[in-house]
Amino acid sequence: MAGDEGTEIYEEREESMDAAVGKEEAEIKTEGKEDENILQFLDSLDGYLTLMDSVNSKLREGWFDLASARHSMGTLRINSTLLDLKYHPAASTLQVTDQEVGSLGSVPRFALSKWASKGCGSPKGKDFSTDTDSEIGSPLSQQLRHRGVSEKPSAKDETTLAADEEIKKERAKSLSVFGGLVSPKLRGAQLSFETALETLVEIANMRASMLSAFERITEK
Amino acid sequence: MIFFLAIASISERNMYGFEALTFNIHGGYLEAIVRGHRAGLLTTADYNNLCQCENLDDIKMHLSATKYGSYLQNEPSPLHTTTIVEKCTLKLVDDYKHMLCQATEPMSTFLEYIRYGHMIDNVVLIVTGTLHERDVQELLEKCHPLGMFDSIATLVVAQNMRELYRLVLVDTPLAPYFSECLTSEDLDDMNIEIMRNTLYKAYLEDFYKFCQKLGGATSEIMSDLLAFEADRRAVNITINSIGTELTREDRKKLYSNFGLLYPYGHEELAICEDIDQVRGVMEKYPPYQAIFSKMSYGESQMLDKAFYEEEVRRLCLAFEQQFHYAVFFAYMRLREQEIRNLMWISECVAQNQKSRIHDSVVYMF
Repeated sequence: MAGDEGTEIYEEREESMDAAVGKEEAEIKTEGKEDENILQFLDSLDGYLTLMDSVNSKLREGWFDLASARHSMGTLRINSTLLDLKYHPAASTLQVTDQEVGSLGSVPRFALSKWASKGCGSPKGKDFSTDTDSEIGSPLSQQLRHRGVSEKPSAKDETTLAADEEIKKERAKSLSVFGGLVSPKLRGAQLSFETALETLVEIANMRASMLSAFERITEK
Repeated sequence: MIFFLAIASISERNMYGFEALTFNIHGGYLEAIVRGHRAGLLTTADYNNLCQCENLDDIKMHLSATKYGSYLQNEPSPLHTTTIVEKCTLKLVDDYKHMLCQATEPMSTFLEYIRYGHMIDNVVLIVTGTLHERDVQELLEKCHPLGMFDSIATLVVAQNMRELYRLVLVDTPLAPYFSECLTSEDLDDMNIEIMRNTLYKAYLEDFYKFCQKLGGATSEIMSDLLAFEADRRAVNITINSIGTELTREDRKKLYSNFGLLYPYGHEELAICEDIDQVRGVMEKYPPYQAIFSKMSYGESQMLDKAFYEEEVRRLCLAFEQQFHYAVFFAYMRLREQEIRNLMWISECVAQNQKSRIHDSVVYMF
């Protein structure tokens, strides 16, 4: 009898210990999840601030290059009265979708299509979503860089080259409001503003994930 | 008696070195005026003061002590860089108009030639703006005052170059320059650019021939200055057309038919595909070797400044000699360079990029 009581007590203790361990594990899991959310928020915040610095720097560079171009070509050739008021489709478009991202729930996602269709059926330009790591040639790309004798261009390379040529033509067409022969400084300004636009979209995405992570933290 | 007959038979068109005998009869007053204006150009000390300004109001305050003071004093704050450029340009226009109304032939024709470049720019501005459906009044406000003429507002009715010529420009001084670009093609951005450069080429060649006819020191000095202008334009056209749809043949057609680079340099420039090839061509010519030696390979950022510095050096040298018309051309160009400097300094101050001011300021004295 005493042995049965002892066994019962032992089993009760085991159960309570198991419950305590389980509770502890749950608490650890919850804390871990909170830490994860906090880390995600801090990462997003860091990325956001870095991108803000980057866009400020690019915009400064763009405005300076524009001033250089005006100095080189003259104020008559670069001024706001030359901008085209005729109806024309937008050079770039922005798509907003809702995306489920793991623990962050639903987060708005911004995708930029630069040099999108100009009267054509399908977009010709590159899709600059935030997955820039997957771009060929990116420093974070998983693809190896080949050195030495280049191999024959693959079909994908040829498609990329053709797309690049199209984008180059669209860029030149946009600049043609200032004349057919423009200074390289004006082209540099165009590239700076183009990069700033891409960065702005990245900022929007980073801000969305940052706010979502913050909501997760403050929910508790 | 024989002495006076000798004087009468000597004209500065035919006898270089004897301009001192007759120039001051018609040109003495204006040469004195233009040399006075030249003394009013900003010095290095003025530029150093301007480079230390914190904002555009400071620039206005420093300019109030210069010849531009009366033009800027009534401008309200906050100032804009375009306002500073516009008001300083008015000073240039007033100086020019005063000299023009006092000039007699052939100096008056010489001074008129200085305006034609601005007229071409204004024509292209109006035509381009009309193509882009801009308001004509807005375009007229942006035109350079030196390039205005009576019928300029009627340019908006033209649909192609033939109409442009027939309806408007046939009665202007630009009419003779249209013979090479009379087509019925509709005006688009590239055609307008080709028209601009073709007109400017014809104008430069005409101005060059006119100066050659004048003879004497005017011919010698202006030939050098206009040849440099033609060569610089050839280089700029080449660099700006790299990577565009302009063909080699079309590019070559835009180069002027005189200058140090004509004709062999033009042949080589026409086939250049990048800045290093342009450099390779230009370094064969000693006057331009010094310009390109200031730049590193693959770089074209400092090319404009290098060319402007060389131009200013040549323009200042024009004042070392007397009794010729080139001083008027040199003064106008030096003023334009000064206005470009002021524009650059204003932009750098407004954008808080004062460390980059010296990238493009060209000092004269």
